[in-house]
Amino acid sequence: MRWKNRVIAVLLFASALAHAQTGKREELDGVWILLRSSTEAPKLTPAGEKARAAYDFQKDDPDMRCIPASFTRIMHTPSPPTEIRQHKDSVEINYEFMDVKRRVPLKKGLAVKDAPLAVSKHPHMGRSVGQYDGETLVIETAGQRAGVLDTLGVPGLYQSDQMRTVERFVPNGDRMQVTITHYDPVYFLQPLIVNYTFLRLPDGKILKWDCKPEEATYERFLKR
Amino acid sequence: MCRNFSTACLIGGLLFLRVDLGFAHHSVTANFDQTRTLDVTGKVKKFSVRNPHSEITLEVPKPGGGVTEFHVEWSDKNALLRRTVPVEKIRVGDTVTINVNPSRRLSNLGYFRTALLPDGTILKDCGFAAYRDSVAKGTKITC
Repeated sequence: MRWKNRVIAVLLFASALAHAQTGKREELDGVWILLRSSTEAPKLTPAGEKARAAYDFQKDDPDMRCIPASFTRIMHTPSPPTEIRQHKDSVEINYEFMDVKRRVPLKKGLAVKDAPLAVSKHPHMGRSVGQYDGETLVIETAGQRAGVLDTLGVPGLYQSDQMRTVERFVPNGDRMQVTITHYDPVYFLQPLIVNYTFLRLPDGKILKWDCKPEEATYERFLKR
Repeated sequence: MCRNFSTACLIGGLLFLRVDLGFAHHSVTANFDQTRTLDVTGKVKKFSVRNPHSEITLEVPKPGGGVTEFHVEWSDKNALLRRTVPVEKIRVGDTVTINVNPSRRLSNLGYFRTALLPDGTILKDCGFAAYRDSVAKGTKITC
């Protein structure tokens, strides 16, 4: 019995320590690469199961047309880094993948539906509003168009136009924890949670991606 | 009761401290069979270092004469640049042997692992994991 109590004590202490290791919001500024990610087992509705079963990466992956599926999908990409720059009234998040430049207003009382498009070049990615919860940057997004949500973490997850996400960016020195909670009554029976740990890339720079659909699709191999 | 409570705490604690998994899925894994390798020898017809994936086109001699094209997909340009992979060593016109993971669906496609160059040297790419580890350790990436 005693060993069990010790294990529990160690687990609780470790979890408390993990959650206590947060830094200052200024530390979020910088360029980051993905260290690891995890997606909690999705609990899908019948519509979600059906969509996932029918998913074919060679035909349905928007990346093959140089279209970023979602912020969730972008952050699953291992190589291209992400840049965060916080300003007084907004946060800019520049994803190297697909040259996505996201602007998130920090305006108290601004409803998500009234926010500008998060990525003007890609209206399907919806609208975002940010605020701080202590030192954690919290971004709520809605208004995404129905389509593929993820092709890497859990390939073949779909989103509806009713989906709402809450992203939490937690500073921790040269690490940054990001948690995205997805609420979608059409495809998920319960909120889908994706966790990422990012690593600061010292002197990192965002390079041009310049994706061309004719160079991205696998159809180019079939034509030959 | 006590036992049930302890078990619940243990499970709850483990869930709370859930282990981050590595990249369980990746488009490379979906597209290419990483349990198999294949050596493909041919003349480099074209080499495009670009995003989202670089591509080498080899002209491979056919048994009955003539050539057929084999395509080798590789990392994105920006990643190869950051990993300081000496891609310039692969030159159009050279005959090389490239070791690939074959495509799961297409017989004329594979994913780059190593290249045996005409001078006998082997060009390797350590990949993103080695790059990420070098950043974490503050060291220079070496293959």
